Amino acid sequence: MTASILIIAAFMIIPMIVGLVSAKQSVATSEDFFVQGRGMGSVAVFFTVAATWWSAFAFLGSNATFYTNGPVYLTALAWNLLFGLMYYWVGKRVWFLGKRFNYLTPSDLLGDFYNSEALRIVVAAIALVFTIPYLQIQLTGGAYLIEVASGGVIKFWLAALLFYFVIIVYVWVGGIRAIAWTDVIYGALLFFGMMYAGYYISSQVGGPGALFAQLQASSPAHLTLPGPNGSMGYPMWFSLFLITAVGAFMGPQIWLRMYSVKSGRLFNLMPFLLGVAAFAYVGSILSGYTGVLLEPGVANPDQILPIMLMKYAPFVLASLILAAGASAAMSTANSQIHAVSTIVTMDIYQRYIDRNASQARIVSVGRWSLVLFSLIAYVMALTVPGVLVTIGIAALAGTAQLIVPTVGAITWRRAHPMAAIWGLLAGVACVLLMTFVPAFRAPLGYHAGVWGLLLNSAVFVVLSLCLQRHDRQVVERFAEARDDYDAEYHPETLDDGRAPLTEVTPATSAR
Amino acid sequence: FTPLKLALYAGILLGFVMLESPLVMLANMADPFVLGMPFLFFWNLLWWSVITLLFLVGYWCNWGSRS
Repeated sequence: MTASILIIAAFMIIPMIVGLVSAKQSVATSEDFFVQGRGMGSVAVFFTVAATWWSAFAFLGSNATFYTNGPVYLTALAWNLLFGLMYYWVGKRVWFLGKRFNYLTPSDLLGDFYNSEALRIVVAAIALVFTIPYLQIQLTGGAYLIEVASGGVIKFWLAALLFYFVIIVYVWVGGIRAIAWTDVIYGALLFFGMMYAGYYISSQVGGPGALFAQLQASSPAHLTLPGPNGSMGYPMWFSLFLITAVGAFMGPQIWLRMYSVKSGRLFNLMPFLLGVAAFAYVGSILSGYTGVLLEPGVANPDQILPIMLMKYAPFVLASLILAAGASAAMSTANSQIHAVSTIVTMDIYQRYIDRNASQARIVSVGRWSLVLFSLIAYVMALTVPGVLVTIGIAALAGTAQLIVPTVGAITWRRAHPMAAIWGLLAGVACVLLMTFVPAFRAPLGYHAGVWGLLLNSAVFVVLSLCLQRHDRQVVERFAEARDDYDAEYHPETLDDGRAPLTEVTPATSAR
Repeated sequence: FTPLKLALYAGILLGFVMLESPLVMLANMADPFVLGMPFLFFWNLLWWSVITLLFLVGYWCNWGSRS
């Protein structure tokens, strides 16, 4: 027991020390606090993107889904690949525009390209409203794991409080730089934890081969779609693939991890690195399926991995793996709190309350926003129940809607502001209607987020084709930026024989 | 598209079609076990590894671009 408490203490204190040490390089400017002066290097970028993207949803939710619904979560291999591909194809263009026009938030890019204050507000609202429930499930998952790992000595409410205290301390001091370096620890721990948990737990039934053979004999429905409950067939397979990847990619915390990158070269490698990281899900397959054999009938499937670890693994090993699970939650929560704080500070405070705020004042508002939104998420975690994956997917379906105007902004000069606004509103309304009104739930088995994206895209394309933009100056400014991007990275697409640029130079600020 | 870029993106698209189009239901079976795992799992790991490898090729050849 003492060893377990020491492991949890180390898990809390070591990242805090790393965060505080890395914060010594910080300067008190908004660009440093929110995007590390756009100078984040390759190791930090990979780990902070991967650890931010892999959350309690991945660590606990994956085991739970294999345990209750069979192989539908196997589509995670493909959604990781899609996320990586988008990080290269969309992310690199967003990074280029962000560097040129000094963007910090999703609203900056979309509000600037579409030249619309209303769209800026709609985008900020979507990013805020749908990020907070996802933040809540990190806290719920992480605090639960700490409670179990401590053998119940640290109660849920106290674990949640400690969880956020640690995050606030290092993010307050170091901003995104501190987050990125703590994410290196969290990321390494979470990938080790997922893989080793699967290996260790499945060895209780004779290893992976024996596990699958026994499962085929005792519960063959667990090995094929639509799973033992008959509810997770192809429509949900495709829905999870699309909504999880796009929704997470469009989260404000990932936008910051596009803007922060130092070199365009890194975007070329990220799809491969993120693809390789997906192999950790093999650990979840083994853990979840071993649970079907050893511990059938667990009421809350999110608890299947902790229950098995506490029963079949030495207490210290169990605590270490559970701390790895808490890492998955913490590395997502720290980024989300920071991203929400960025939106509140830059999109609301600086734009509508004090346009002439000093850099020190902006950083101060950002820091207090961290505390405020941590408190909101803490109260929600204590009062709002729910299954991690269910809440997570609903939240991701909302942020996923931002992909339509984003792709429009980086590829299509006809993309119209009214099309972007009405497309987003239609998509979000569709998601909310199908999520909260049982009569409309999941037509043809596809998740609300898929229908929202379809409606959003249709409205966006039709209205853009019907309406004409009259702000030629803005359209031309972006067309020129896109041409410069192509000249730099894809010269084969240009017909004027221009030489590649040598660097991205900041131009007119959007602010 | 340069020929290299075309081949690269076509390969990636084929991989995603095999993993996420309704074609995946043709692989939706436990038997035969391949490498000790049900066929559906083998199918997913196979195409996951193909796409991941293509991502590495993409990095090596600058994603088929001429720069």
